Formats: sequence, structure tokens, C-alpha cells
Amino acid sequence: MIASAAAVLAALLGGAALTLAVERLVARRGLEAGPARAVGLGRGLDLPNADRWLLPAGPAVALGGVALAVVVIPFGPGLIGRDLGVGLFYVIVVVDFVVLGLALAGWGANTPEAVEACYRIVAQLVAYVVPLGLAYVGVVMMAGSLSTVAVVAAQRDLWFVVLQPMGFLLYLVTGLMQSYRAPFLEPFADSIGGGVLGAAGGWSALLWRVALAGVLFVVAAVGAVLYLGGPSGPWLPGWAWMLAKTYALMALMLGLGRCVRPFSTAGMLALSWKALIPAGLVNVLLVGGLILLGVGPRA
Amino acid sequence: MTAAFELTAFATCAFVAVAGALGMTTTMSMFRSGIFLMASFIGVAGLFILLSADLIGLLQVMMYIGGFLVMILFMVLVMHDPGGAMMAGMDLAPLERWSSLGLVPRRPAEAGPDGHRQGEAGDRTAATGHGEGHSGTHPPRPGGEARGDHAEAHDGAAKAMPHEAQGGHGERAAHPHGQAAHGHDHAPGGGHGGMDMGGMDMSMVTPVRPVAAWLALGVGAVLVGMLVLRPAWPVMPDAVPDADSARRVGHLLMEKYMVAFEGAGFLILIGIFGALLLARPSTYPDDASRAAKVAVDAEPEPIRNDRLAPRATLNGVAEPAPDHGAHRRHGGHIG
Amino acid sequence: MTVPLTAYLVVGALLFAIGLYTVVAQRSAVMILMGVEVLLNAIGLNVVAFWRFTAPGDYSAQILAILVVTVGAVEMAIGLALVLLLYRQRRTAEVDAYADLKR
Repeated sequence: MIASAAAVLAALLGGAALTLAVERLVARRGLEAGPARAVGLGRGLDLPNADRWLLPAGPAVALGGVALAVVVIPFGPGLIGRDLGVGLFYVIVVVDFVVLGLALAGWGANTPEAVEACYRIVAQLVAYVVPLGLAYVGVVMMAGSLSTVAVVAAQRDLWFVVLQPMGFLLYLVTGLMQSYRAPFLEPFADSIGGGVLGAAGGWSALLWRVALAGVLFVVAAVGAVLYLGGPSGPWLPGWAWMLAKTYALMALMLGLGRCVRPFSTAGMLALSWKALIPAGLVNVLLVGGLILLGVGPRA
Repeated sequence: MTAAFELTAFATCAFVAVAGALGMTTTMSMFRSGIFLMASFIGVAGLFILLSADLIGLLQVMMYIGGFLVMILFMVLVMHDPGGAMMAGMDLAPLERWSSLGLVPRRPAEAGPDGHRQGEAGDRTAATGHGEGHSGTHPPRPGGEARGDHAEAHDGAAKAMPHEAQGGHGERAAHPHGQAAHGHDHAPGGGHGGMDMGGMDMSMVTPVRPVAAWLALGVGAVLVGMLVLRPAWPVMPDAVPDADSARRVGHLLMEKYMVAFEGAGFLILIGIFGALLLARPSTYPDDASRAAKVAVDAEPEPIRNDRLAPRATLNGVAEPAPDHGAHRRHGGHIG
Repeated sequence: MTVPLTAYLVVGALLFAIGLYTVVAQRSAVMILMGVEVLLNAIGLNVVAFWRFTAPGDYSAQILAILVVTVGAVEMAIGLALVLLLYRQRRTAEVDAYADLKR
């Protein structure tokens, strides 16, 4: 048990480190913004009005959520922390702890910028959570299971990105929202001093760095499992395929995000209700039609 | 699942559930109440998972993190949560002191949006004293020290507010308090529950709190006593439920309980409409303090030095790339 | 199952008592709604515990628990909307100020 926990933690740390490298690569040097912004690891905190419980609890809660999410991600045949029967639902739930941690730290820091960031983060949660669920639903319908291993097995012949391109696009957008990357970095915008990160320093800044890189890693890895067949592939071992797909997807997401102007929080909500949720519903309808036509893994 | 693991997990989850609920009802900050309540829900969700109802456990966590955080935050936003600021002059029962531990009153300069506190000179004096006592200290601090600080805050508040009965403090501090009986401790000074501070009632509890505490204690004792005295349920603990309970629940929802499921969905729809209808902007004047810094940026500033074309302004003139260095007050970044 | 049914039910009873205390003792309408949520949670815990120990083959109890959670969420939304409306009108969230609604 302890060994598998250590393995999961090592996977998370390795993934987060590689994620930082990818972000540096995509963002060009010195131009990081949002969650990847430079934070003062050596800086002390001067927040006399901070809540002494909530502020330190924030990064711990967020990192705990990300670490729990890594448990169900399959890195190869047998290379999975635990194959839960409700795996994908579990991922959705557990990644929410990042939002909770950000809200705790934002409120706990008790500076105007951080409290503002707290509200923006919760509003962003409202914006992405429904379309994200709809992006999962298409895959779950086709695979007929919530287990990540079963989803990978269902894509043995054909990746779901071919069958559900609309769901894939939806996942790209909502994944960027969920990981607070380029067009959706309003909670970490420069105009509010980096939000929660502006109130972090020392070990809490380090934990935030790992947690925010980890959430992008988890989003990309789950995207690879959902739409790109996960660790399956010829010649190479499973973990190599999984890492390659994860980081390719991550680079694609970050690169696409760089091409779009940043959205305001209100813009994100409008995008969610006016474009993403209808698109998700249409995607669910299309997938249902495909299943009725006999296309997909069950055929 | 070994027996020891199960016992440990049960003890942890049960403790989190009950302690979270207790903290919810005793802390003096509404935001913290919400967070404590969320901890309680997560503890109950852990119990659900222990009972091999993992789907409901996860559903509970998602409901309450996603939905509840939003609701609490926006209610707090609308109602100016004191956020612990009102702690400055209150006398607290021990349990309340414990669950409100570490709350720091805001400095007067930052108390601006907090409409409740504008007029109370005495309270502000207390807040100032406390705030200055803390400047230079850092958030994570051991519990004992923070407790001491609270006593200090009490003294400061008592000095700042001469109308507060000083004797009550000493007597209260000398009392050995049992955790469960905290409501009873307030019985002699029923007025304390609704402490009056310059015409503004700052307390979060009603004067009937002792009655409520005794009622709750009585109900709890009766329920637990009945449970302990009659433990003969027709249990069948050896029957193991289906591991893939999500599938079974889904089939039940879509077949046997379809009407109930659709009814719940319809209820949610009506609930959304009702809530929107009730909470829509109305003719009642909104409080000026609500016009805080919550407005979203109409045009978020672009990422520094990105190569996108500059946005055309209303005049059709391209605005120069704004200098973001000025915003980065918390400098000192490493690569 | 090393932990007996009674242990779960005792936790449910404690939660129920705390929720009852909150509903009676708290002054703010938001806190009262939170107390109601704790009451609903205690009920859900009892339902699921009885399901697991007395009828683990019949998943209807989980349906009931799901419906309880759903109705709790709707109740919270409507309740908060009502409180928001009353707050705008009365400038306070304390239920004592709403006493004239009884008439």
C-alpha cells in the first residue's frame, strides 16, 4: 500500500516536472502567465490578516486532490494505482479539490486580490464543470463503463477521437478551463497580482507549483485515456505511449490556447452556456446515434 | 480490506463528520462554517464509501464541493460575512474558541467593504490593537500561541468596551469547560449570546442557545441510548454487494425508479427557475458595499508580450501593449 | 464488516443532534440552512447503513439516498434565493427579523 502510494506520488511529481518543461517550451522563455507564472519560492509571506488555517490548508488540499486523481490513471497494463469501477467519475470529483484549495487559500489570504481570485475561481468552476461532464459522457456511453481500464480497452481498434471529434474539441476547451491555462487564466491574471499565487511564498508557493502543474498533467493524461487510447500502441511499451500521448495533447492544448485572446470570467460563463453546453448535448446525441447505428467498440 | 484498516477508516471518517458539524455550528466565521460543513460532508462520504456505496459517496462530494462552495461564497458576498472580523470583542464558549482559532480581525483600513463595522468605534479600537500586535507574525503558528493571542484580544476588547461586563470574562476563563456542555455555560449570562455592541447585534446565535443545546443533547442522548440498548437488527453483514454498484444503480434509475428520477430532474428544473426568479435583480436598492471589486474585467489584459495583434479600441486606435510590470507588486520571482 | 451497524447509526444520531442544535440556536438564515443540510446528511447516512447491513442486494436504498441529496441541493438553492430576496428587503439575514412573515 505504501509502495503504491509512493509510486503514485512519484508519477505525479515526474508528470508535474515534465509539465513545467512543456510549459516552458510552449510559452517561450520568460513569458509564463497564469498558473505558470514565476512565484517567489524564496519569498516570505507578509499577510498579517490572513486566516491561519485556511491559507496553509489551500495548497495541501489542492495537491491532495491532484495526487488522488493520479491513482486511477493507467500508465500501462498493470501500471495503475487502483482500477476503480467508477474511475472517471472519481477523477471529476477529485480534481474539484483543486478548486476548493484555491478558494480556501484565496479567502484565507484575506487580501483584496486573493479574495477576488477566489470568486473568479468559483465562477470558473461553474463555467467548466457541466461541459466537462458532457465531454466525459460521450466516451462513457461508447465504452459502456466508467472504469479507465475499460475505456482504454474499448479503444483497442479505433481511438475515440476519430469517432467523437466534437467531444475531443470540447474536452480541449474545458480542459484548458479546468487547468487555468492560457485563454482562461483570469483567476491568475496579472491585473490581480497573480491572485492566489500572489499571496504564496516559500513552501506554499512550491506546493502550488506542483499542484497547478499536476492538474494540467492530470487533465492531459485523462484526455489521452478518454480520446487517444491511453497506453495502447504498437512496438513501444505502454508507459512510453501514455507519456507521449499525454505530452502531445498537453502541447496541443497549450499551443492552441496561446492563439486565442484571454477570456474574462463573464466571457467564460457566456462561452460555456452559449457554446460549450449546447455542443456537449449535440455530441451526446451524435454519440447516441452512432451507438444505435452500431458504430463503436460494441459493433 | 483488513479489520484494522476498516476500523481506522471508520474512526477517521466519523470523527471528521462529527467534528466538522460541530465546528460548523460553533465557528464565528460564515465562510469557515461552510468549510467545516464541507469537511463534515466529506467525512460522511467516506462513511458511504466504507459502506461500499462508492457512487453515492462521490456524488455527495461533487455536489457539495461544486454546488455548496458556489452558494456559500455568493451568500457571503451578498451578506458581508464578517469573516472573523467580529471576533474582536466576543466572549466565546471553549468549543467556539477552538473552532474559531486563528481568526484575525481585519485592520480598520481593510474593513472598508464591511458595512457592519463602520460605526463601532470601540470595536475598531480593539481591531487595531489586535492587528498591530500581529504585524510581523506569520500565519502558521502553533495552537497554544494563537490561543494566547485570543486571550489578548479579549483583554483588548474588554478595555475598549467598558460596557462589557469584565467579571464575566474572568469567571468564564476560570471555568473548566466540558466540550459538550458549552451551551450550558452560557446559561447564567443569557444576554451574552446576543451581545449588544453599540446597537449592532454581532452574535451569530439566538438567546435560546442554552435551550437548544440541552434539546440537542437530550435528543442525541435518547437516540444513542435507544441504539445502544436495542442493537438487534436483522443484519446480514456477510452478503457482499456488487462491486460495480454504479451499473446497478443506473439500471434501477432508468427502469424501476424512472418516474422518481424524472421527478427529481423536474424538481431541479423548477428549482432553478424559482431561484432565478426570486434572486433576480429587483427594485430594492442594492447596498453600496456590494459594489466591491467583483466586477469582472470587461477586457482582460493580454498575456505579456504575446504576438497577437493589439485589440482595436472603441476609437479604432490600436492601444499600445500595456506595461504589466506595474501590476506585479509582489516581485521577486525565480526562473 | 468489523464495524457494527450501531456504530454508523450512532454517528448518524450525533449528526442529527448537531443539526437540530444548529437549526434552533443559529440566528442567521444561512446557518439554519446549513443545519438542515446536516439533518439531511444524517438521514442519508442512516439509509445507506441500513441498506448495507440489512438488504445489500437491493439497491433501492441508494436511489433514495441520491434523491435525498438532490432534494437537499434544490432546497438549499431555493432557500438561499429566498434569503437573498429577504435580505435585500430587510437588510438583514437574521430570521428574527422575519417574524412578521408569520402573519
